[in-house]
Amino acid sequence: MAAASARPLRVLLAKLGMDTHTVGITVVAHALRDAGMEVIFTGLKQTPEAVASAAIQEDVDVVGVSSLSAGHTRNLPKLARLLREQGAGEKLLVAGGVIPPEDLPLLQSAGFARIFTMGTDTREIVAYLRDWWAARAANDTPS
Amino acid sequence: MSRPVNRVPPSAEAAPSADAAQEARRWERETRAPYIVSHPERRAPFQTQALRWPIKPLYTPADLEAEGFDYQRDLGFPGEYPYTRGTQPNGHRSSLWTMSQVTGFGRGEDWARRARYMLGQGLQGLILEHDLPTTNGYDSDNPLVEGEVGRAGLAIDSLEDVERALDLPFEKLRYLMSVCNAPQPINLAMIIAALEKKGVDPRRFVLHIVNGILIEYTCVGRYIFPPAHGLRIATDCIEYIIREHPNWAPISIISAQLQPAKANPVQELAFSMAIALAYIDATLARGLTIDTVAPYFHFVVNVDMDFFEGICKLRAYRKLWARLMKERYGAQRPEALRIRMMTSPTTIALTLQQPLNNIGRLAIMATACALGGAGEAMTTPLHDEAHALPAEEAIRVGAALQHIVAHETGVADTIDPLAGSYYVETLTKQIESAAHAELDKILAMGGALRAIETGYFQRALGHEQYERNKDIEEGRRKWVGVNHLVLPGEQRQIEIFRADNRTEEEQVARVRALRARRDAAAVSAALEAVRAAARAGTNLVPPCLAAVKVYATHGELCDALREVFGVHTPDSQLTGV
Repeated sequence: MAAASARPLRVLLAKLGMDTHTVGITVVAHALRDAGMEVIFTGLKQTPEAVASAAIQEDVDVVGVSSLSAGHTRNLPKLARLLREQGAGEKLLVAGGVIPPEDLPLLQSAGFARIFTMGTDTREIVAYLRDWWAARAANDTPS
Repeated sequence: MSRPVNRVPPSAEAAPSADAAQEARRWERETRAPYIVSHPERRAPFQTQALRWPIKPLYTPADLEAEGFDYQRDLGFPGEYPYTRGTQPNGHRSSLWTMSQVTGFGRGEDWARRARYMLGQGLQGLILEHDLPTTNGYDSDNPLVEGEVGRAGLAIDSLEDVERALDLPFEKLRYLMSVCNAPQPINLAMIIAALEKKGVDPRRFVLHIVNGILIEYTCVGRYIFPPAHGLRIATDCIEYIIREHPNWAPISIISAQLQPAKANPVQELAFSMAIALAYIDATLARGLTIDTVAPYFHFVVNVDMDFFEGICKLRAYRKLWARLMKERYGAQRPEALRIRMMTSPTTIALTLQQPLNNIGRLAIMATACALGGAGEAMTTPLHDEAHALPAEEAIRVGAALQHIVAHETGVADTIDPLAGSYYVETLTKQIESAAHAELDKILAMGGALRAIETGYFQRALGHEQYERNKDIEEGRRKWVGVNHLVLPGEQRQIEIFRADNRTEEEQVARVRALRARRDAAAVSAALEAVRAAARAGTNLVPPCLAAVKVYATHGELCDALREVFGVHTPDSQLTGV
């Protein structure tokens, strides 16, 4: 058994910029906790710099950003870049909220592995994170 | 020959209680139970949408007896205590509710253009929403707000922007509601100063400032300063308006913001009342009396798709307010006991999928608002609101919906038409009692401010948000287009209102040009006076008024207050996430 999957997945959930919509991120936080994950919330109105440093300080495996305003095209790529620059490029980056389909390529090329658009079933998010964690654990296992 | 009269036998008129309950049990045993053996129920259990309370197959006089229902004590008459049947003696037969819609985007002149269009469509009230940089206390050129300027509402940096926005035909305007909670004294000061400059008599219309900072901490998130300072700032505005502009409305409890945060009707009622009591207590501490203060309180209440939860909630609202004002504060004047309320169909019932279905939903919810007693005003959201900036056609349909409900259905033609329904009266009483019990619990923990500071409200809502979402994901609640009658392969339109760079660039250029040409010394003296008042605990509105007149900017004034009050930075514990 790999060391990674022996402990619970640690997830940082973040809100960037002026966007104060919290229902979606709250529901996701509860669903992830119910699924046995450790969830840390940054609070509202954070800068990409503050979220990157919280992700590193809290040593999380996953950073999930909720975005329900137009800030995602600037804030999200900036967060991804900051994490890479600070040697934290191995963390899984995901996002969710109101994100138009035409912006998906931009976010994916910036380093976001998956974008959960509005109306995504929380069970789908849990399953995605579990699969990623299991795959990470398998890769970590010395053969 | 006289017409034959169907005389009701005296025994049935008196409805002896043992019989009612006994007869209901007999019907269940002899008629219904055998039937459902061969016709099983289509849903198990039947429950109300938000409260998830069980719904009985039938309500009878026995249910009213079980609730201890008493006509005079629980309902009374319209325009009389406890106002369950409405605050107006003649319901909507003398005048209909004021019909209004929310609007707000772009620069001052963009907002004014849309507002003039709406006033031309028969709407008499306007709601002014500010953009997120403004509500969060930043100027348009602050690097933190890049891309957000003028997007979710009107961008305000200085008095100049308010002067542009208030370029309106004031003769058509009955009220203007302004939502800008955390920086409210600054917003209020800018509106007062703009009206002065335009020579508009402030008595000719009603300015409602929402001033609802406690709900921002509870669920909306557009706070700046720590909660106790937020409450003080709100109280300054209430006190100022009561003393200086007594025909205006200084406070709205937007219970309609708790509802999209998934407060169930009991929480909505209890949290709203607890929040109202916090403002009332703070205002009474300024030396005003309950009979002066209470009539100024105003509520905005949403109705969701569960028709009866919505209707009963509105009825319970009126009664609970009246009881609290009378029993807790000893209010005497009828104006203090009669709740002032605006109602609205909720946006959270609307779907991104199959957006035309939303017109049906809005009509149903608007009908529920009218049946519950629409209050002084009703505002309808728009059917395309879930996916786009409302188009003008949607605005027209939204306005027409209210006229259809008012003029074509007959629901507004008699007063409180559902009164006496066994179900409606049972549910009204149950909601009222449960809300009163929850309110007592909040008061026992120290009231709304404490409930916010300890995260009680936020955690309760977080829990509710999760449970309600599970109801949909796990199919307990059917939602057309979302988990029922889904159109396979439907292309969902997600139009987000793209940051219009021109708006932002212009707004940034304007505020920078303003800073360059105004009297810098006057501005810094005015900002210092605001800091001094903040520290001294004196009313913040007068120094803000002086400061906006010399064109201190919105962001500068908020920064001055940040220096004195600090900022609110809640963690997971306090946010319910």
